[in-house]
Amino acid sequence: MGIKAKFKAASLLTVWLLAAPVAFADDQPVKGGTLIYLEQQAHTNLYPPAGGFYPNGGILNQITDKLTYQNPKTLDIEPWIAESWTVNDAATEYTFKIRKGVTFSDGTPLDAPAVAKNYDTFGLGNKELKQPVSEVINNYDHSEVVDPYTVKFYFKKSSPGFLQGTSVIGSGLVSLKTLALPFDQLGDATKIIGSGPFVVESETLGKQLSLKARTDYNWGPSKLAHQGRAYLDGIKYIITGEDSVRIGALLSGQADFIRQLQAYDEKQVSDQSFAIYAAPTRGVNDSVAFRPDNPLVADIRVRQALLHATNNKEIVDTLFSANYPQAKSVISSAAAGYADLSSKLIYDPALAEKLLDEAGWKKGASGVREKDGKPLSLAVYESLPQPQNKAVLQLVAQQWAKLGVKLQVLAGTSGNLVTDNVDPAKTPLVVAEVGRADPDVIKSQFYPKNRDALLQKGGLNSKASFSDDKLNGILETVASETDRGKRLAAAKAAQEYLLDQAYVIPFFEEPQVFAGAPYVKGIAFEAVGRPSFYSTWLAEH
Amino acid sequence: MARYILSKFGQALFVLWAAFTVSFVLLQSLPGDAVLIKFQNPDYGLSPEQLADIRAAYGADGSFLHQYFHAVWSFLTGDFGYSLQAGVPVSSLLATNLPPSLLLAASGFAVATLLAVLIAIACNLSGFAWLRGLIQSIPSLFISVPTFWLGIMLIQIFSFRLRLVPVINPGPWEGLFLPILTVAVPISAPLAQILLKNIDEVLTKPFVPVARAKGLSHAKVLWRHVAKNTLLPVLTVAGLLFGELIASAVITETVFGLNGIGGLTKQAVDSQDVAVLQAIVVVAATAFVVINLVVDLLYPVLDPRLKIKLRAA
Repeated sequence: MGIKAKFKAASLLTVWLLAAPVAFADDQPVKGGTLIYLEQQAHTNLYPPAGGFYPNGGILNQITDKLTYQNPKTLDIEPWIAESWTVNDAATEYTFKIRKGVTFSDGTPLDAPAVAKNYDTFGLGNKELKQPVSEVINNYDHSEVVDPYTVKFYFKKSSPGFLQGTSVIGSGLVSLKTLALPFDQLGDATKIIGSGPFVVESETLGKQLSLKARTDYNWGPSKLAHQGRAYLDGIKYIITGEDSVRIGALLSGQADFIRQLQAYDEKQVSDQSFAIYAAPTRGVNDSVAFRPDNPLVADIRVRQALLHATNNKEIVDTLFSANYPQAKSVISSAAAGYADLSSKLIYDPALAEKLLDEAGWKKGASGVREKDGKPLSLAVYESLPQPQNKAVLQLVAQQWAKLGVKLQVLAGTSGNLVTDNVDPAKTPLVVAEVGRADPDVIKSQFYPKNRDALLQKGGLNSKASFSDDKLNGILETVASETDRGKRLAAAKAAQEYLLDQAYVIPFFEEPQVFAGAPYVKGIAFEAVGRPSFYSTWLAEH
Repeated sequence: MARYILSKFGQALFVLWAAFTVSFVLLQSLPGDAVLIKFQNPDYGLSPEQLADIRAAYGADGSFLHQYFHAVWSFLTGDFGYSLQAGVPVSSLLATNLPPSLLLAASGFAVATLLAVLIAIACNLSGFAWLRGLIQSIPSLFISVPTFWLGIMLIQIFSFRLRLVPVINPGPWEGLFLPILTVAVPISAPLAQILLKNIDEVLTKPFVPVARAKGLSHAKVLWRHVAKNTLLPVLTVAGLLFGELIASAVITETVFGLNGIGGLTKQAVDSQDVAVLQAIVVVAATAFVVINLVVDLLYPVLDPRLKIKLRAA
């Protein structure tokens, strides 16, 4: 929001206006209390595969459980609702043993038939109820209920990413009643019945959501130190769109925990000994990707020039804090399959000039490079979910302007964005970022049948003529190679190839940044940065 | 008189229909549609084929006329459809967002009127020229205060610093105090200006010296003779200010985290949520039409000359 910057004075004033009455307590978890959690945006549809939207994930992660638990430190897959599992060598058949005694909050059992129905819906979608397919489940064929507590899934092709896919927010298990509702109605949080440690108690649409703890909850991930019910009695989500109000409310004791702390506000929070949590999203870094179908960026030398004309250090230093590490590859350094490729991402304006000259782009009278009478002028839409994206792109535009390349940054709210972003003639560049702690994430972002950031043939753009079979071959290997070593090697090859071809310019590793009062203890985050309040407790204050 | 009322009602209905149709045409002609915007969102990561399936399921590719008549019929039968973005019926969105907006707008307007009248009275009764000048400059000050800044300042001072009213989890009236003030200040400015200007103008009319000659005090002249004569133009402007009220409410809602039509509109525009926008247009048009109808019907009551003209016609 543009107006925000103008009134930064108001948030600066907070520092001066506030006293800091801070209490400290020991480390013994205390039961009870309600966490006041300030959200920036209201949730939208809570069909679990829609959990990628930050506010949705922040709710679904408290009210649903997953078949497996991905340890956010080791990224290993550990037991949760599934006690154990077996996978065949070809990774086309997965068998899960379900933990006994688990119930959804409507009292129905979470057993093999319930799991089977969940995955049939997520893996295949439901046309009648308009429920879309989940992004994380590839090549799904069908399920089979072997016995009341054993379920088996069959895949058309190898699907080595499926096991991790059972641990993500988009795979939260919900009751049969919830799955029987049309997609249109799943924005009402009270209708989302899961088996999680918290239950939706009440909701004021667009404003407030109250969760209460399930006192009979006894099936948390088995390797967690904390077992049994959640320590908190409840969580109150209050939508507070304005940054300075969220921060002021936290610092003045009206709230306990807030989401979306901007980098420029971090100092006033930490100055008062409040905690800042920068949870990594562990996927494709905050980047821009090229659409080689656009003649201006079809030449690899132009793309390479722009890659070397981009000064990531300046972006991070000017706009962000230490919580936003400079990108060293296409994916985050905390992601599975990461390879340090910082040697390919060197800022070198002289090299960039040379490459542009070689490609035939000469500086015209206006200072903008031209070739055959056409200026080297590119357009990109800002992406609203990415932190300070407009400022990032404007800074990049300044950096490129020094070399005589024009970058127009377009506002990102209208329907134009959706149609223009699949038209390489209008948008030779797109902002790319996706979080998932599995090597499949690279395929998700660049493969034509998935998010298709490069707009290849067979993807989102029906008129596309560009395709890169070599890249797609590597991405298919990432998604289907059953040997872990070979799969990680393919992930590394994909990162190298994407940078060698200069298809993408990564900027920084994107975190989700939260802040909490000092007495809020036991905050945890799942592998891609959504908060988990299962083990959270409030110390005396 | 009956003809006057009937024609005003007829005009009102026409305006409603026109607002619905024009907004429908405009929304349909925008690039992209709600289904595309919702599901092409990277959070879903759907493939082109899956996207096409969903568009077909929603009938997003149906003919223009078919969609228009379907929308008209749904509205006439009271079915506002589903918000694709929020995943709830549009009627529940309206039910949660309309009452707080109306309350904020009505109380904001009442407080604004009160402020405007206070300024006008203070200005006309003050004996000193310098004080009069000072009070006269208040509206210009009020009009130039950005709503956004005012809201944040009120929160910072009264809630975070003095801790008098909480912004998070306030009681029903506690939570309205600061937002009402935020809405009222910018609206009171044009009202006060028009009031001041009209009072000055009416004071030059010949009946004022006559009243004074009869021995009435300045205050009594203002109250008995001038006030009634200045109301008409103020009423007209008040009807028009309603639009501004909604606009400043968007900002106030955002700053104070209130539910309301303003924020709902912003979200619906961002996601081209056609069902929601269509409903908002109809609600807003209805509000305008009703307010202007009331203003039109009040004219003859306030100004006897208009009543005579109507009888003659």
